[in-house]
Amino acid sequence: MNAPGHHAMLPHPDHDETARQEWVRTFRQHLATRVAPGVAAVYERRVLPRFRAQHQREPADRHEIRREMLQDGYHQFWSALQRRSQELMWDTLADTVEREHDALVSRAKALSADGPGSLELDPDLDIPTYHAAVDIHLQPGGYHSEFAPDDVAAGALYDAALPIYLAGALGPENDLLGRTLAGFLAHHAPEFEPRRMLDMGCAIGNSTLPWCRAWPEAEVHAIDVGAPVLRYAHARAVALGARVHFSQQNAERTRFDDASFDLVVSHIMLHETSRAALPRILAECHRLLRPGGLMLHMEIPRGGTPFEQFMLEWETYNNNERFAGYMTDADLPRLAASAGFDATDCTMERASLGMSTEQKSYGAGDFSFPVLVARKASADAERQRA
Amino acid sequence: MTDRTDTATADARTGLPRTAKGRRPHYFADPATDRLLAMVVTLMEELSATRDRVDSLERVLERERVLAEGAVEAFRPEGETAEVREARRAAFTARVLRVLDAEIAESPQESPSFTHVK
Repeated sequence: MNAPGHHAMLPHPDHDETARQEWVRTFRQHLATRVAPGVAAVYERRVLPRFRAQHQREPADRHEIRREMLQDGYHQFWSALQRRSQELMWDTLADTVEREHDALVSRAKALSADGPGSLELDPDLDIPTYHAAVDIHLQPGGYHSEFAPDDVAAGALYDAALPIYLAGALGPENDLLGRTLAGFLAHHAPEFEPRRMLDMGCAIGNSTLPWCRAWPEAEVHAIDVGAPVLRYAHARAVALGARVHFSQQNAERTRFDDASFDLVVSHIMLHETSRAALPRILAECHRLLRPGGLMLHMEIPRGGTPFEQFMLEWETYNNNERFAGYMTDADLPRLAASAGFDATDCTMERASLGMSTEQKSYGAGDFSFPVLVARKASADAERQRA
Repeated sequence: MTDRTDTATADARTGLPRTAKGRRPHYFADPATDRLLAMVVTLMEELSATRDRVDSLERVLERERVLAEGAVEAFRPEGETAEVREARRAAFTARVLRVLDAEIAESPQESPSFTHVK
């Protein structure tokens, strides 16, 4: 019998690949529970006292803390080990995906052809610079690079990496973010029934599928810029019995009609974009929503104290999350209001994922996920405003 | 054949890239320390995988009651077994030293270790 969450698109690591992948997971748990807390300890015990003695004040912000911590030997070791754990995770997963590459491509083709749902690729789509310039999360080739015709390798790597990267936090189907955001919506707007919804930056659709289950009657669309992750996503959705319409589109400007969705969501996607793209994505959400429609963007935790912010920003500098630092200071409701939403309809809420210490990587502290919520004004309100 | 050629040969078979695009930060005053630490961590991974393998082997042998006392100690690899073992050693060496590829990937000329189709 297959384990929960098992599906036909997952790669099959052999004995030694399994052993390496399990070791990387063990190593990361050790770093999260035994090494990362030491970073907070050296900050409190030696870095902060020295700073106070030199400057007669507290550090002003995370940037000042970072400048001090980069000189600390313990922090250097933790950073180097954390970085290496990420690199080795991809390296050992690539062994499996490379070995099974042809079979994965064939399986994806067969599943995709069977439906349900659909897959629409756009070979002429420009890959945005924020994907093309660096490989996000150090995944070699990123979400978009193709190494064989009809490639799905990027999707297979990503699906297999998530349980290692987050120590199983996302559950057997890697779907905790989608389950949490769908649950958030049910609680936040109990009367709301999406009939046609869009998930932006869906990658392998792992966060998309819970929406199909929460609202089985809804027509669910999902977009991403990466063709190999979308091919994988559609095959995976079919394997898991979900009907999703995947298409290769840039969230900054899609091909969908005005006012054609009740609900537009994303799951920790905005921080992977750019300063120029973010306002365009929010404006595109406004265009796509019907009057009274809802926009929900879940984001990554940004920390409460300057030290927590400094720890969480490790990913910005060391894991190719180049735009994540900007999100720490960004006023998302204000940006949503500038993008066309009524300022009184834009708020930041929080959703807790209930993650354990070993699943957090950067120590304890505020680890609830921020959610940008905005409702497009009703037709009456729009007329009044005009 | 030198070690360097072995590494290049191992990587020539590789279909997927193994280094991420984007500058690799270094954490210590001397970047050599970063590379050495990366190799040590990879050795930890390999040693752990090997111990798992030995553990699997011993448990299977014990379960099947096929291992005679002293048989492993007396075993000498020959022919194809020796070749397979040598190939595995070369792959192991390439894996541990793969951190050096990042330095090559960062140089202006594109790494020849994989073919980018698109």
